[in-house]
Amino acid sequence: MRPADSRSKSRLPLAFSVPKREDQHNEDSFQRSAKGVYALSDGASVSFDSASWARILVRRYTRDPEFTREWLSAAIAEFRKLYDRDSLPWMQQASFDKGSFASLLGVRIADGGRAIQVLSVGDSLAVLCDGDRIKATFPLSTAAEFSASPQLICTNPTHNTFLDKLDFAYDLVADWTFRGLEQPALLCMTDALGHWLLSQRDRDSSPISVLRRLRTPGAFARFVQEERAAGRMKRDDTTLIALW
Amino acid sequence: MAYQAEISRENPTCILFVIDQSGSMDEISEAGRSKAAFVADVLNKTLYTLVTSCSKSDGVRNYFDVGVIAYAGSQVRSGFGGALSGDIVHPIHAISEHTLRVEERKKKVDDGAGGIVELKTKFPVWFDPKSEGGTPMRAALGRTIETVSGWCEQHPRSYPPTILHVTDGQSTDGAPEEMADGLRQISTKDGQALLFNLHVNTAAGLEIVFPTAEADLNDEYSRMLFRMSSPLPAHLAKFAGDKGYAITDGSRGFIFNGDPQCVVDFFEIGTRPRLVADR
Repeated sequence: MRPADSRSKSRLPLAFSVPKREDQHNEDSFQRSAKGVYALSDGASVSFDSASWARILVRRYTRDPEFTREWLSAAIAEFRKLYDRDSLPWMQQASFDKGSFASLLGVRIADGGRAIQVLSVGDSLAVLCDGDRIKATFPLSTAAEFSASPQLICTNPTHNTFLDKLDFAYDLVADWTFRGLEQPALLCMTDALGHWLLSQRDRDSSPISVLRRLRTPGAFARFVQEERAAGRMKRDDTTLIALW
Repeated sequence: MAYQAEISRENPTCILFVIDQSGSMDEISEAGRSKAAFVADVLNKTLYTLVTSCSKSDGVRNYFDVGVIAYAGSQVRSGFGGALSGDIVHPIHAISEHTLRVEERKKKVDDGAGGIVELKTKFPVWFDPKSEGGTPMRAALGRTIETVSGWCEQHPRSYPPTILHVTDGQSTDGAPEEMADGLRQISTKDGQALLFNLHVNTAAGLEIVFPTAEADLNDEYSRMLFRMSSPLPAHLAKFAGDKGYAITDGSRGFIFNGDPQCVVDFFEIGTRPRLVADR
């Protein structure tokens, strides 16, 4: 893909993240590059060091968005250098060997939105909108799909064998465009927010219009707290990247 | 709905293993190992897996309280040795810190580049095989009731305790059924305690796995163990089904004449709540 057209209309990227609980570490990670590349990763809490793994994935993706098996091997090698395995206590060594898991959602925007490529492994969600209408979602399309255990990228290659059966360019990628949309917007989010959005999509008040009003970290945090309290949103690290 | 509580550090759940160490557990299987040795090995691996699932780079998170009750001869006691022997139930971080020993084993793993490498791996041992005397099952279940009652009082909102009872023979201190009935009545707000029973055998091919009705069983002893066992909650029934077992509505958490593979699967299915811990 060609790099984003600098003459095109620039979109305001907003990014917010709220941890599962105030006193707990946020294991979501997100990053963007100046070349129109955005990445989001949701580290799985029940694994060794998913926060570091998620950071490595988003940083590498925004530098080099060509996701290949070699790309993944290099990312795993970088993670493994963070720890001296043999010196870890047995319980940490066992958890290190089991692996750290995370999703990866990457977006490349070229030609001012004429070409948008979305890559997704796991259950983080990309949403293409026109005004308050949802035009497309990827990789999931219904709230019910979030109840299945997602296949996440792992620092232990034996847990990545599901990727062997996939054609990366076909199975992991969606190609979208802003062309023809009157009020285009692109959202990237981790699973708690993705489930909320798809479960609310048929409500009178569009969930997109609700998210559109959130312009500050404080407003986003209050929204998440209210939806959790109302039982409409799962308590999990919750992250949104929005290009309105 | 029962069995929906999120397992977290604020609301851990309890997993209790009740292990028969009577003399008959020294019977040698076709594989050349005693039932006691095999059960001890599976229990150590199960504890290892539970601790591993709670371990992060910054420490062990207490998603589980875990206990082992061992019974044999005239004794019912903690199955743990050393610093853990004073109490039955311990937070999982304490269990991770107090092993009997840590052995070094070797395993072959994918090197991530298409090859295989041999890795030295530390393997903890908490539980050594023992087998002597009679089978005081009734007393063991009485001790289990005391333990589970106390735990539920302290954790009223938690996913309820899961008790995995492993035996190879009949009780020698009286009928255990009423004790099992009492145990299954203990509850948290998320549901009643789950009692799953495994009867082990050294021979393969005789097993009856997760039966649905007493009529499926041939003798009064197996029918009693069936009645003593809780129905599998939906998420465990699904997991057992995914492992290839024929599960129907009402299947009990009970295996009779379980061979070694049944023992492994019983422990894995029974400790499945670890996998619903928050992501």
